[in-house]
Formats: sequence, C-alpha cells, structure tokens
Amino acid sequence: MYKYILQSAGNINWMAIFALLTFLFIFLMGVVLAFAKDKEQIKHFASLPLEDGQKEPIQ
Amino acid sequence: MTQSETFYYDNKIVRDFGVATALWCVVAFTVGLIAALQLVWPAANLSLEYTTFGRLRPLHTNAAIFAFVGNGIFMGVYYSLQRLLKTRMYSDLLSKIHFWGWQLIIVAAALTLPLGITSSKEYAELEWPIDIAIALVWVVFGINMFGTILKRRENHLYVAIWFYIATWITVTILHIFNNLEIPVSAFKSIPVFAGVQDALVQWWYGHNAVAFFLTTPYLGLMYYFLPKAANRPVYSYKLSIIHFWALIFIYIWAGPHHLLYTSLPGWAQALGTVFSLMLIAPSWGGMLNGLLTLRGAWDKVRQDPVLKFMVVAITAYGMATLEGPLLSIKSVNAISHYTDWTIAHVHVGTLGWNGMLTFGILYWLWPRLYGNKLFSTKLANLHFWLGTLGIIFYTVPIYWAGWTQSMMWKQFGADGLLVYSNFLETVTQILPMYMLRVLGGTIYITGAFVMVYNLIKTARSGKLIANVEASAPARAVAGSHKGEYWHKWIERKPITMLIASAVVVAIGGLVEIFPMMLIDNNVPKIASVKPYTPLELEGRDIYIKEGCVGCHSQMVRPFRSETERYGEYSKSGEFIYDRPFLWGSKRTGPDLHRVGGKYPNSWHYNHMKDPETMSPGSIMPPYPWLLKKEINSDYTAAKIKVLQTLNTPYPNGYADRAVADLKLQAQGIADDLRKNGVEVEGLENKEIVALIAYLQRLGTDIKPKATVERIQ
Ligand code: HEC
Repeated sequence: MYKYILQSAGNINWMAIFALLTFLFIFLMGVVLAFAKDKEQIKHFASLPLEDGQKEPIQ
Repeated sequence: MTQSETFYYDNKIVRDFGVATALWCVVAFTVGLIAALQLVWPAANLSLEYTTFGRLRPLHTNAAIFAFVGNGIFMGVYYSLQRLLKTRMYSDLLSKIHFWGWQLIIVAAALTLPLGITSSKEYAELEWPIDIAIALVWVVFGINMFGTILKRRENHLYVAIWFYIATWITVTILHIFNNLEIPVSAFKSIPVFAGVQDALVQWWYGHNAVAFFLTTPYLGLMYYFLPKAANRPVYSYKLSIIHFWALIFIYIWAGPHHLLYTSLPGWAQALGTVFSLMLIAPSWGGMLNGLLTLRGAWDKVRQDPVLKFMVVAITAYGMATLEGPLLSIKSVNAISHYTDWTIAHVHVGTLGWNGMLTFGILYWLWPRLYGNKLFSTKLANLHFWLGTLGIIFYTVPIYWAGWTQSMMWKQFGADGLLVYSNFLETVTQILPMYMLRVLGGTIYITGAFVMVYNLIKTARSGKLIANVEASAPARAVAGSHKGEYWHKWIERKPITMLIASAVVVAIGGLVEIFPMMLIDNNVPKIASVKPYTPLELEGRDIYIKEGCVGCHSQMVRPFRSETERYGEYSKSGEFIYDRPFLWGSKRTGPDLHRVGGKYPNSWHYNHMKDPETMSPGSIMPPYPWLLKKEINSDYTAAKIKVLQTLNTPYPNGYADRAVADLKLQAQGIADDLRKNGVEVEGLENKEIVALIAYLQRLGTDIKPKATVERIQ
C-alpha cells in the first residue's frame, strides 16, 4: 500500500492541489486575522513603533 | 490604571552589533572586489592559494550574508524588540554570548574558507564544528528573544516580531537539514545525502536562506525602522498581516526553481514555478506597504538621507522580487541559469535591499545611540549617491554580461554548428563588462568607507547612552482573579506564533522533502556507474577544496546547445555516489561533467599549472601549488568507511586496501605524464595527479554504452 502510494506519486498532482488548497487556507486565515481586529486595536498596533516609552534625547 | 514602571533599554548591544555590521560590510565588499578583480586579472590572487577565486568566493558570500547582513539583523532586532515590547532584553549575558559567539564564528569562517576547509555547498560552506557552533549561538539568540517576548509589557506582538519569529524557526530547520553530515576528521565531513537528493536539500536551503535570512528579518526591520524614520505608522497594518502569512507560506515552496530541467519530478518543478510566481503578490504588497507609508511625506524624503536609503532599498526589494519569479519560469530559466544574470539578480538584492536598508538604519541609529547629531548629513548624502551609482555600475554590466553569455552559448550558425564552439570566446567577450563591474564595486565600497568615517566621527563627538531610561505600565497584572486565564493565554501567544510559523513552513518543507524520498526509489540506476576510486575521491576533495565549483558546473542540461558543446546530457543516475553533489550554479568556465577523456593527462597538467599555456586569454587561475603539494591519504580509509556506512558499495574491508590502490593508480598517471615530457621528482605523490584522475573519470561511466535499468 505504502509502496503503491509512493509509486503513483511520481506523476500525481494531488500534492500540487493540496499545496494550493493549504495556501488558500493560510491566505484566508491571514485575511480573517487582519480583519477580525477592530479599528482602534489596529491603530494601536500600527503605532507601536512610535511609542517606546523612552525619552528621546534628540529628535 | 496600572502603575508605570521604569526600566532601561540596552543600547550597548545594539551599538556592538552596529559596529560589527559596519566593519564586516567593508570586509565583505573588499573580498568581493578582489574576487571581481581576479575575473579580469587572475594575478590579483597574488599567486597565493589562500586568495584564489575559488576560495575567496565563498568567503565573500558568507561574509556578505552572515557577517554583514547577519549582524545587521541582530542590530535591528535588539533595538526594535526591546522597544516594541517595552522591556530590556531577557538576559544581558545571553546578549553578550550571542554577540561574541557570532563574531567568533565569522572569524572561524574567515580563517577556514581561505584554507580550503569547505563543504562546498553554497552559503553553507562551513564545516561541521562551525555548523555546531552556529546552532548553539542561534539557540542562545532564540532563548534571549523568546525570554524577552515572555517578559514583555506590551500585549500585542507588532508584525515586525512575527517576521523575527518566523526567521528564527525557519533558519533553525534549514540549518539542521542541510548540514546532516558525517565527520571524517575535524575539518572534513561527508553529507548523508548524495547526488540529486543532496542537490534538492541544498537548494531548498539555498533558496530559503535568501528568503529567511536576507528577506524576512529585513522586512521586520523595514516595518519597524521605516515608520520610525518617517515618524508615522505603517500605511496598512492589515496588509502587513496578510503580507506576513502569505510570504512565509509561499516562500518555502519556491526552492525547486533552482532545479529546473533536472530529474526532479515534473509536478514539483511546476509547483516551484507556480509558487515563485505567486510570490510576486505578497512581495509587492509588502513593497507598496513600505512605499505608501511615505505618502504625502516625499518632501521629507528629499531632505533626509535615511529615508532616501530606505526608499532605494524598498524599490530594490520590489525589483528583485519581481525578477526572481520571472527567473523561475522554465523558458526564462533555460537562458538565465548558469549565466551572470543570476549574479546581477542577487546583487540587486544584497547591495540594494540589504545594503541600503542597513545603511539607512545605521544613519538613523547612530545619533540616537550617541545622543547627538549625525556628524555630516552631506557625507551621508554623498554615500547615498555613491551607493546608488555603485549598484547601477555593478548590475547593468553584469546583466549585459549574462545576456551576452546566454546568447553566445546558444548561437548556432547556418551550418548547424555552434558559432562559439570555443567556450573561451564567450569569456573574453564579456571581460569589459567585468571591468565595469569592478568600477561599480569600487564606487559602492567607497560609499561604505565614507559611512564608516561618518559614524566614527558621530560616535567621537558624543557619548554612548548605554542604558536608556524608559517607562511603561506593567502588562495586565498576573494573579488578579479574573485576568488570570487571559493572561496565561496571551503569554502562550508567542509560543502559538512560533508553532504556527513552524507548521506553515513545515508544510512546504515536507512537500519538498517528499519527492526527494521518491527520487531515491525512482532514480534510474545505471549499472555502469561505479563508486570513485580512492585516488579519484582524493582528487574530488581537492576540487572541492579549491572551489572549482565556483566557476564550473557539472550538469549538462538536455538542450541541443549543451549536448553539442559538452556531450551527452547528465542523468540523475550518474550522481548517486556524489557526496556532496557538485552541479555548481554558474559557468564562468565550461561545464566539466563530460570532460573525462577529452584531453590527455599532460594537457590537464599544463593547464592547471598555467591555463594560459593551453588556453591563451583564459581567466582561470593557475594552480602551481597542486604540482608541489603531496596527496594527503591519511583520511582515505576513513572516507571509504564513512561512504560504506552510507551504502556506497565498496567491497568489504576495502578501506584497508584503499591507500595501496590509490598509489597504484597514481603511479599509472605519473608514468603517463613522464612519457609526455613532465619531469618532476615524486610526481606520483602530488595533488595534481589525484585531480587529474578525478577529471578524467568525470562523466565517463556511461560513455561506453549506457545500460539504464530501472531498479524498482
Ligand atoms: C575563475 C574561474 C575558474 C576557476 C576558479 C576554475 N576554472 Fe577551470 N576554467 C575556467 C575558464 C574560464 C576556462 C576556459 C578557458 C580555459 O580552458 O582555461 C576553464 C577551463 C577548465 C578546463 C578545461 C575544460 C574544457 O572542456 O576545455 C578544466 C579541466 C578546468 N577548467 C578545471 C578546473 C579545475 C580543476 C579547477 C579548480 C582547481 C578550476 N578549473 C577552477 C575558469 C575557472
């Protein structure tokens, strides 16, 4: 059985299909993650680099 | 309202990595410049074996990637991680161990590579003891990074940190897999994979080293330092989330595009191409996200050299990530592969994207670390122009050289014969381009020196603020009855992140490793292909040591232009005893897979002594030391034994007879050389004899009459 799968794998494209499907899944996950956050949250996240709580000596 | 806590950011470690990146960039560029000079003027190696092209090239690439960019990554990560998480690094001691460990590894590389101690796998040339050291230091970095994440005061992990996490986990996986090797001695190992499998793992690694060492960490830096320098948040944070997931997922799949037209299963090659093309989307999404961050602030860009550097860097990222996918289209790859086109492509990436971004960050960082102003904005602007012009003067001629090569290699005359059947003609044709490249490199490196001067001056006129006071409220208090659950959950979030990235990356990895296992069963075994003799094995190791693979491929592709020039195209079954594989990636010289039997032994002897005597105008370096140094057969038996454990079919107990066999074969070649007028004492003990034995063996196994039989 195992051997059989290996042999038929040479010219299959189920793996290619699997690849594209997982990609779609990951992509959708990214989109959902991105859009599930509310506006205020996103604004806070985006401004993190600008608020480091440090007293800048020179700006 | 939670109480504000006061703490200190560690600036010293940032400064240290910054100094290291500035220092190593000058070293890496200088070595590159010397190597480039040798391609027009081989004598630039000063007739020293340690500085010949084959040994300098890996030193240049390793220095650029791991010393220059590596330290650049750490500089940026140590600065941004603390501030994004509002906490000092987890452990000052680990920071120090990380810093000095990494520098020691670089020094070890700078010593061993010129000595010819190399595994010959591109960007993974370092031998096993150093590989282990790299793994240890990398783990130290990981502990320090995750420790910092766990003790953070800010709940949310900013997107830059995601990129750092993905980088860490993927580089760990790649490093381990590509360095599975069995030591023969302290300075020599034999990889567990052979031939096609070895090639697959290597290019899975090679491609992802570009992806996860030169790209993802730098994207993290872009997402932090660009908003910092422009003093405005990133254009779209949502886009950056999508950018992240799509990019890390797709990147890992694209590796097979380095192996088009090989024996890799067709669908895997096709997949490599499809995913490479898909990469354009997230890459350009990221680029636009970067550039759009500056919308409405272009007046600022015009004045601030930091932003100028960053704009050029991001633009170069966009160009390289558009070109890369194009190069993975089979028909484009057919003409681009093995030419200097690839060299131009990678330099857009490293000089443009990594180089310019690093410079921009350094200029931004230094006055902040030293609490003063940049010594000279004028000089920074000068550097900007030198850098930009340097990139143009480097890449344009090398693109031109690459296109010229590919056209000349493939041009047939009306008589149906190759127009440039003498490979050397295609080399001398592009020498003017190589000269221009040296000029471009010189301009670029001059810029780097200007920067170093500027940074030193800036540091001198200020004082390092080693510890910066900062304050922030503590993170959601632990132990408070209601917050308990969520606190725990959030604390696990970085770990979730780590696991998620690992899974995402592993899916692609597995699907690439899977066909590799299949290949083992499906590589058509060729009955006439036999293991190397002990002398050939030693000759092969000299070939590896001298870095011949930096100029010569050993893979004749199934095109008429190649079979006409070199002979029968390469079959995967011919490489089953090749540990490591030596297909190469660039043809500065001709392919050597069918060179066996093409010339008499004496031709090789004279050619290696001084290529110009046999091929006037050649830019191949002379190897006079091979005529003097003696073959080291101390480890021959050990090598045979290791190969036997890896199923190379030497007869039982052959290791004990190996050296005797080696001497016998060497004597035969020496006698032949003597007959043809080579008069040297002790000729049969010289390295050149082993090398000739190897060269004469190359590709000859299937020459008589190939009997291909499919085993299972
Ligand atoms: C800087 C690039 C470079 C390096 C490094 C280099 N070569 Fe070459 N090699 C060339 C070029 C260019 C030619 C074609 C001109 C000539 O025949 O010299 C060539 C030609 C050859 C040929 C003749 C091939 C033929 O079919 O005519 C052999 C054999 C050869 N090289 C072996 C080696 C070996 C062995 C090493 C390592 C010890 C090596 N080369 C290192 C550039 C290089």
